[in-house]
Amino acid sequence: MISLVSILKRFPLTIFALVVLSLPFWFPYIGGYVGLATKMTIWALFALGFDLLLGFTGYLSFGHAIFFGMSAYTTGLMFKHFSAEIIPAMIIAVIVGTLASVAVGYLTMKRSGIYFSILTLAFGEMLHSSALSTFGWFTGGENGLTLPDLRPVLFGIRMDGLTMYFVTAFFLIVGYYIAMRISKSPFGLILRAIKSNSQRLEYTGIDVQKYKLGAFVLSAVYASVAGSLMVVYEPYVGTEYLHWSTSGELVIMSVMGGLGTLIGPIIGAWFMLYFENVLSVPLGEEWLLVLGLIFMAVVIFLPGGFVDGVKKLYNKLTKNSADVEGK
Amino acid sequence: MNNFFLQTLTGLQISALYMLIALGLTLVFGTLGVVNFAHGALFMLGAYFAVEIASQFGFEVAIVAVPILLFIVGVALERGLIRHFYERSHTDQILVTFGLAIVIGEVLKTIYGANNIPFAKPTWGTGILRLDEYLPFLDGAVYYPKWRLILVVVSFSTVAALFILLQFTKFGLIVRAGMRDSQMIAFLGVNITRRFTIVFGIGSIIAAIAGIFGGPITQVEPELGMKLLIPSFLVVVVGGMGSLPGAVLASLIFGMAISFTAEYAPIQQIIIYLIAVVILLVRPRGLMGKKGLME
Amino acid sequence: MTKKSDISKTVSRRSILKAGALGTAAMSAPMFYAKNAWAESQIGNYPIEGDTVMLGFNVPQTGAYADEGADELRAYKLAVQHLNNGGGMLETMTPNKLTGAGILGKKVDFVVGDTQTKADAARTSARRMIERDKIIMLTGGSSSGIAIAQQYLASEMGIIFMAGLTHSNDTTGKDKRRYGFRHFFNAEMTGIALSPILADTYGKDRRAFHLTADYSWGHTQHDAMKRGTEAQGWTTVNNLMTPVGGPDFSQYLTAVLASDADVLVLNHYGKDMVNSLTQAVEFGMRELQKNGKTMEVVVPLFSRLMAQGAGSSAIQGVLGTTNWNWTLQDAGSKAFVEAFQAEYGFPPSMAAHTCYCQTLLYANACEVAGTFYPPEVIKALEGFEFDGMGNGPTLYRAEDHQCFKDILVVKGKSPTDKTGEFDLLEIVGTTPRDVVTYDASIFGGELGPYEPV
Repeated sequence: MISLVSILKRFPLTIFALVVLSLPFWFPYIGGYVGLATKMTIWALFALGFDLLLGFTGYLSFGHAIFFGMSAYTTGLMFKHFSAEIIPAMIIAVIVGTLASVAVGYLTMKRSGIYFSILTLAFGEMLHSSALSTFGWFTGGENGLTLPDLRPVLFGIRMDGLTMYFVTAFFLIVGYYIAMRISKSPFGLILRAIKSNSQRLEYTGIDVQKYKLGAFVLSAVYASVAGSLMVVYEPYVGTEYLHWSTSGELVIMSVMGGLGTLIGPIIGAWFMLYFENVLSVPLGEEWLLVLGLIFMAVVIFLPGGFVDGVKKLYNKLTKNSADVEGK
Repeated sequence: MNNFFLQTLTGLQISALYMLIALGLTLVFGTLGVVNFAHGALFMLGAYFAVEIASQFGFEVAIVAVPILLFIVGVALERGLIRHFYERSHTDQILVTFGLAIVIGEVLKTIYGANNIPFAKPTWGTGILRLDEYLPFLDGAVYYPKWRLILVVVSFSTVAALFILLQFTKFGLIVRAGMRDSQMIAFLGVNITRRFTIVFGIGSIIAAIAGIFGGPITQVEPELGMKLLIPSFLVVVVGGMGSLPGAVLASLIFGMAISFTAEYAPIQQIIIYLIAVVILLVRPRGLMGKKGLME
Repeated sequence: MTKKSDISKTVSRRSILKAGALGTAAMSAPMFYAKNAWAESQIGNYPIEGDTVMLGFNVPQTGAYADEGADELRAYKLAVQHLNNGGGMLETMTPNKLTGAGILGKKVDFVVGDTQTKADAARTSARRMIERDKIIMLTGGSSSGIAIAQQYLASEMGIIFMAGLTHSNDTTGKDKRRYGFRHFFNAEMTGIALSPILADTYGKDRRAFHLTADYSWGHTQHDAMKRGTEAQGWTTVNNLMTPVGGPDFSQYLTAVLASDADVLVLNHYGKDMVNSLTQAVEFGMRELQKNGKTMEVVVPLFSRLMAQGAGSSAIQGVLGTTNWNWTLQDAGSKAFVEAFQAEYGFPPSMAAHTCYCQTLLYANACEVAGTFYPPEVIKALEGFEFDGMGNGPTLYRAEDHQCFKDILVVKGKSPTDKTGEFDLLEIVGTTPRDVVTYDASIFGGELGPYEPV
């Protein structure tokens, strides 16, 4: 037990990579399938980036669907009008998503608390409504951006099944590594300081605004990569990628997993999608009710999410065993 | 002239419902400091209660019974759940009440189904009114549904009643003092917790009023709470968190904007968000927000 | 499990190559050699292992159309029961190769998914059924955007998609797919079928104001109604786009009041329709006098579930079209309604009917083709002419996979006329199939290949 934890603590990245890479091989035994594993991995990346913003700086964005969705649409349009090769499509998509985040971040990051949340929500909803109506002629509106008979390829290799899974797994592992490095860097420390006391930080002469914007853009880059991968995995873009409920789901999964821990939101994303697509089946029509109750229970009893729950449980167990040994 | 008048009336009437929902939200926020995302669900609960009671015992009974029922629900909710979140972050408050909203919506769906259930207006509220008989400046026949005019009257009366309660009663004085410094009030020996419970109950009563009078317009279905919560929340934030006059002003702006852009679809669909963005960028704390709240 | 399926995939790729080679060789050879060639190749979840065949029912269990979804699911379960044990429309449909002993000797089983009334969720849930549960046919959907999203996915994966309730022209128009089939009627047919009856009832010199749900179905519905009514001599005064899911329509109704229109056409569906209709009534749009006539409201797409939501005082006398109604007296409808009533205690909706028919039609096509091999099943459905399923003689047109049948024009019953809770619509006319048949090429789109790329 203790040795396992010390291994986890010493080689977090290796363990993480092993879990991610082996997922499609053991996932079917608990009712999963490769397609879901891929989608879970993409959302994990999305949630991981979001943690760099919400978990570190405490800024609750209700508009991250903007970057996920814009990048998804760009990828789809690149496939449609340019080529089915994923590299140019993904690069342009991430650039578009990032530029959008600089613009939105510049305007919204000046506000804080609920005012920031509502501003991001408003930007997101404007974009979503426009994609449905005004921009419908190139987004496909409600029908979504459909790409008949198109198969995304990487250097001519078709992106489906396990191939697609390992491409997304690669992005998640690299993303996790970068996030870990950021977390331990001076930049990461300043971000955490913003959460605990933004004003005091300003007195030290640090340009807090710049750091906040940095965190916002960084999380949007993760969102853009995830959005783009989503269209590589499924050559289809639905308008709901831009809807606030996508942002809302992201918040819910991050909180359930455990904010500010990097691994927490990843676990949250996995849990949520697994619940929605596998556990929901036996529950039938009532699955959303059960999910709502679980979510409430987590917020009430485990403010630190699943990660906090596991830690508490572990501490209790080791304490108990120590007590036994002492006696 | 007629057209302009009609559009203004429609704007007023649209803002009436937003105002009612926003009023409860901002009251609870301003006094308790709690962001209640379940407020839309309370409104919806009020509408469902109203349908049930109105169909069994008549609409007049519903007008009396539903606010009482919702007051009880509100008090139970505050005691059982909300109270434990006073010291938690606003993010946690939003999330737990959001979860509650999902649960309430799903329970209602299980009982009543996902489709609308009809909510008939009482006979004294149905039909259309010829306005030109009362307003000489209108030329020709001008009609408007009676029920919408009733909603406007109810909404503004509720606003007035709440202002009087807060400004001119001892209860209001204590609550307003509690908003500024709840610890100080507690030191003075006033039981502020009990009053907070009552404030949450009053918020629920306003949600009930919105449900009774708004339900026959919007129809009753389990996603209604969320549909109206987002614009109402926008009203509260644009007005300035915790400011009652701000909420009234913002809902009027929203209502008029929605009414006067009806024929320009691309703008119409984003207008409230556009207004929110512009106002929040120009005025960081909304129209009448106080410094330090929710930042 | 995944490993296994992956191995079978590489094997199958080889066998596809082999099949291709055989196929080319067989071009000049007698037909049964060619038949052997397709029997070997793998498409989607074909060939089926074991002695059960799995169908996937993807319906909205949460979200705006959950009630339609629940009714669709009831119909699907009933269809499976009838396929395995006989009964229902198995006794009325002609031609019929179904025996009530499963499909091609295999027992029929099913899995259920929740579309959540969202396109992305619908695709994820469809993928689960295709990848994990190995379904051979996917069916469901209760709105056009979601049906189209599933139809594309199914075509990519080589699974036949039998669309449920979807009324947009796009489903079998610009977004038609070789693997997608629709039994339900569409906006174009509504426009053609309804307009002459509107002109007969309300006169030829009417001025119409349209309110249209701002998404693709609404646009096609508005377009079809505009063309149809203008051909009858009506004038279209204005059209306002309304956002989907809006609880209040008063700002648009104010514009209608201010105009000189004497008919209001509501191109809305679901809750939008219930709300816009009840509010239009509230605004007096069925009692006001305009241009010397009484103002009228028209709802092009009518359904019993929506009529229930609006209440019969709001719908009485309102004209619209519907795909099917449970009060029909033909043998097929009666057999279905009786079976449904016996099982669930209340009559089925039109969504239930179309889903039930789709399941039977797919099963019958497999029997006709003598195989589950998708390209052969598709060919059996294309151009299939049938009767006894509640809509009279019906054709599955090969060019766009759209069913052509007589279209029902209905009127909302008044509270005093109705005989029960579910008796809300009265059939006032039937527009014959050859009148509503339009040229398959007008909407563009490509069906694509028989074997997925």
